[in-house]
Amino acid sequence: CISGGLPKPTNITFLSINMKNILQWSPPEGLQGAEVTYTVQYFIYGQKKWLSKSECRNINRTCCDLSVETSDYEHQYYAKVKAIWETNCSKWAETGRFYPFLETQIGPPRVALTTDEKSISIVLTAPEKWKRSPEESSISMRQIYSNLKYNVSIYNTKSNRMWSQCVTNHTLVLVWLEPDTLYCILVESFVPGPPRLAQPSEKQCVRTLKDQTSALRVKII
Amino acid sequence: QEFRFGPCRVQGVALQELREAFWTVKDTVQAKDNITSVRLLRKEVLQDVSDAESCYLIRALLKFYLNTVFKNYLDEAADVRIRRSFSTLANNFFVIASKLQPSEDEMFSISESARRRFLLFQRAFKQLDIQAAQTKAFGEVDILLTWMEKFYEF
Repeated sequence: CISGGLPKPTNITFLSINMKNILQWSPPEGLQGAEVTYTVQYFIYGQKKWLSKSECRNINRTCCDLSVETSDYEHQYYAKVKAIWETNCSKWAETGRFYPFLETQIGPPRVALTTDEKSISIVLTAPEKWKRSPEESSISMRQIYSNLKYNVSIYNTKSNRMWSQCVTNHTLVLVWLEPDTLYCILVESFVPGPPRLAQPSEKQCVRTLKDQTSALRVKII
Repeated sequence: QEFRFGPCRVQGVALQELREAFWTVKDTVQAKDNITSVRLLRKEVLQDVSDAESCYLIRALLKFYLNTVFKNYLDEAADVRIRRSFSTLANNFFVIASKLQPSEDEMFSISESARRRFLLFQRAFKQLDIQAAQTKAFGEVDILLTWMEKFYEF
């Protein structure tokens, strides 16, 4: 194909969550809708040559899963993509140096809530690292990031009051809450270090139990 | 917050500040490094470093960064952001290096294996044109900081 006959793909970046590393890009300017195909290559920093991924050669979609190829998260990588249309093709569009260990987003933890009259117990389970196949043993992101922390946001739907707490271990008990009140909880994982995009957990709402003592007092009167 | 490189302790350095300093210029600095087939801080230099070795190794690396990488690089760094990041890193590297006192009575084999690791790094550096090597070493500060974090108590 005639190289440079097409504009390059744009916005080429890695979208990385829990070490699942997806290369994504936008079609070249002015070619949206045309029957453009793409070819991807990747490079391990410090090694000698660019490598191809057969599943991402002459593809129509604008993304390519490079999780397997970039699974050693202590390495650094580059990736590039070019557009092909009929007999023309673009020059390569290249990412910056991608460092999974520092750049992967840490997904939200699993959140389990149990309520009492004036307290809510929260148990957090760290997200799991991406794995090649379901049979592969699971690795918790906490095993990779020992300094993994959580930001717990709590919202009292009656008073509209919201506050948040930073948690290092995986349990938290919220006390001095109002009985018979709906509380909504969101949790984000984070690791001290370079700024990373954060993905909050699904909002979960639970109601504290009715105050048993006042119910008893009513009975007595 | 404290670094514990084996017997060597360093307090009063905020690792997060170093990270942020480098992160603001990472793309700019790494984009200037065109020799992507060479990685100075390879796995053989930094992998499985024992606590005992770590004090020797980190001191050698930081001194090299201060005396060889940062010293002349400044002339070329016109961009204000790079200068600011540069001085934050250089000042903190100086503070850490000056507080490191590896013990003399450690077994010779430990300091020797640390020295071999450092020589791997230095040899790779010297095989490049000096300015390209300085740019590459500056671009690999994220690798260095990630390794240093293993010895950091939050």
